[in-house]
Amino acid sequence: MSAAVAIEVEGLGLTFASQSEAPTIALQDVNCRFEPGKVTALIGPSGCGKSTLLQIARGFLNPTRGRLRFVEIASGKVAERPAMATVWQAFNLFPWLTVIENVAFGLELAGVPRAERDARARKAILAVDLNGFENKFPRQLSGGMRQRVGIARALVMEPEVLLLDEPFGALDAQTRLVLQEQLSKLVETSGTTAILVTHSIEEAILLADKIIVMSARPGRVCDQINVTLPRPRSYATTHEPEYAALFDRIYGQLRDEVMQAMIIESGGG
Amino acid sequence: MPNDLPLAEQTPIVETPVAPASASSWLDNERVLGWGSVALVILVWEITTRATGVSPLYLPRPTQIVVALFGMFATGELHKDLLVTLWRIFVGFGIAIFVGTALGIWIATSVRVRAIADMFIAMLYPLPKVTLIPLLIIWLGTGGPFMLTISFLGAIFPIVINTVLGVRQCDPGLVLAARDLGATPQQIVRRVLLPSAIPSIFAGIRLGLGVSIILVVAAEMVVGKLGLGARLYLSGQILETEQVFAVLIVLATLGIVVTKVQDFIDVKLGRWRLA
Repeated sequence: MSAAVAIEVEGLGLTFASQSEAPTIALQDVNCRFEPGKVTALIGPSGCGKSTLLQIARGFLNPTRGRLRFVEIASGKVAERPAMATVWQAFNLFPWLTVIENVAFGLELAGVPRAERDARARKAILAVDLNGFENKFPRQLSGGMRQRVGIARALVMEPEVLLLDEPFGALDAQTRLVLQEQLSKLVETSGTTAILVTHSIEEAILLADKIIVMSARPGRVCDQINVTLPRPRSYATTHEPEYAALFDRIYGQLRDEVMQAMIIESGGG
Repeated sequence: MPNDLPLAEQTPIVETPVAPASASSWLDNERVLGWGSVALVILVWEITTRATGVSPLYLPRPTQIVVALFGMFATGELHKDLLVTLWRIFVGFGIAIFVGTALGIWIATSVRVRAIADMFIAMLYPLPKVTLIPLLIIWLGTGGPFMLTISFLGAIFPIVINTVLGVRQCDPGLVLAARDLGATPQQIVRRVLLPSAIPSIFAGIRLGLGVSIILVVAAEMVVGKLGLGARLYLSGQILETEQVFAVLIVLATLGIVVTKVQDFIDVKLGRWRLA
């Protein structure tokens, strides 16, 4: 569908300067690669800079060191900035627009003619099983349905790079499971390069082809793990021995960092 | 499986409790109670003024007021005054909507403009606008430009202030989402900041129109030969008390109509909030 794009991250660092306090080192010497057409999960404790890395990839933040570049696989050239779209934890749907207007918003901004953007939006809505809800407002939908609108709104842009910023963080466990299965199918068929930021080890294993484990602040890459579990993956996958092994490996690495982050969160908040 | 989802995720319909049947339920009916008490007050007013024989110069009977009201409309003088007043209010107010919203968005999106505007708003906003009438008469005379300016000044402050508030309260996540979908800064203003500020802007418009009406009527009382305010003042001067009441009824009706129209527009604009 879209040209496969890899993302190469070399020596990436970001330091937030502060006048009153010591500067915050959000990311330090991050080296990793996001494979074209694959899902790569970024996992790590709160404040490890996962979302910051996503913002740098999106171009909303500039790194203070190192670089992040997009490489078109077909030509081997460094691409300018590929087509990107984000799915947000807080959904960020426009409450004054209906489902179809939300999904077609990006196309409308880009000046796509009405008939075409309506057709594409309807297709995307069908892909997330929301047909029949085109003219509802976000308020009228449950959390799970709202995030499916968010996914449709991103996929309708046919992004070469899809950024998933804790997409299911605000949803209950059951809804999350169903949406994980659905998203994994959609991403697979779209051929987009996806970065999934998550707190959930389960989510990372079920959705990702590769998992990058990050340390607590300053964010660094601790481990990169390829997930070779067969697709399609579902809840049943969690009973596989390989799943348990992966879970243990990641949990072992995260445990101390997460515990520390939890203590900071509960004590500092 | 996923096909079942939309239904499964819908919130269940909450059963509304059945209202207890009661024989005396008309007393609980808000509409009956409201209108009934108004009718009662008018009735008591009519009876006591007749019984006590109080001079209509002080307190005319409701029936006399109604007769005066119809009489003034019949000669055409009252609806001429009404039209003049409406014109004065709505031209200035209409300009204030456009200028106020644009200015508000500019103030909310530019740090420099905000720094400048904050000072002027802080100085001018607390000033009762009626106190500007003498100065405006010196500058503009008592004709159309004066009335238009006074109506404009009444409406602009609430509109600007509420627009700034509305725009600044916009969820930053929505701005990020729009940027992510490729919105230019202008598109963010028109497609995100403005619609998300609409409820607040409308609250400002509502307040502004109220002030405009007050100011125009007050200005007419001071200088006008035409308009409801002038009519009210002149009727008072010659002790035509039932005409004073008749004009008050017209002004009250104007207030009710304006409020109802605003409620209607509010509901139309706020579909997504009420849903």
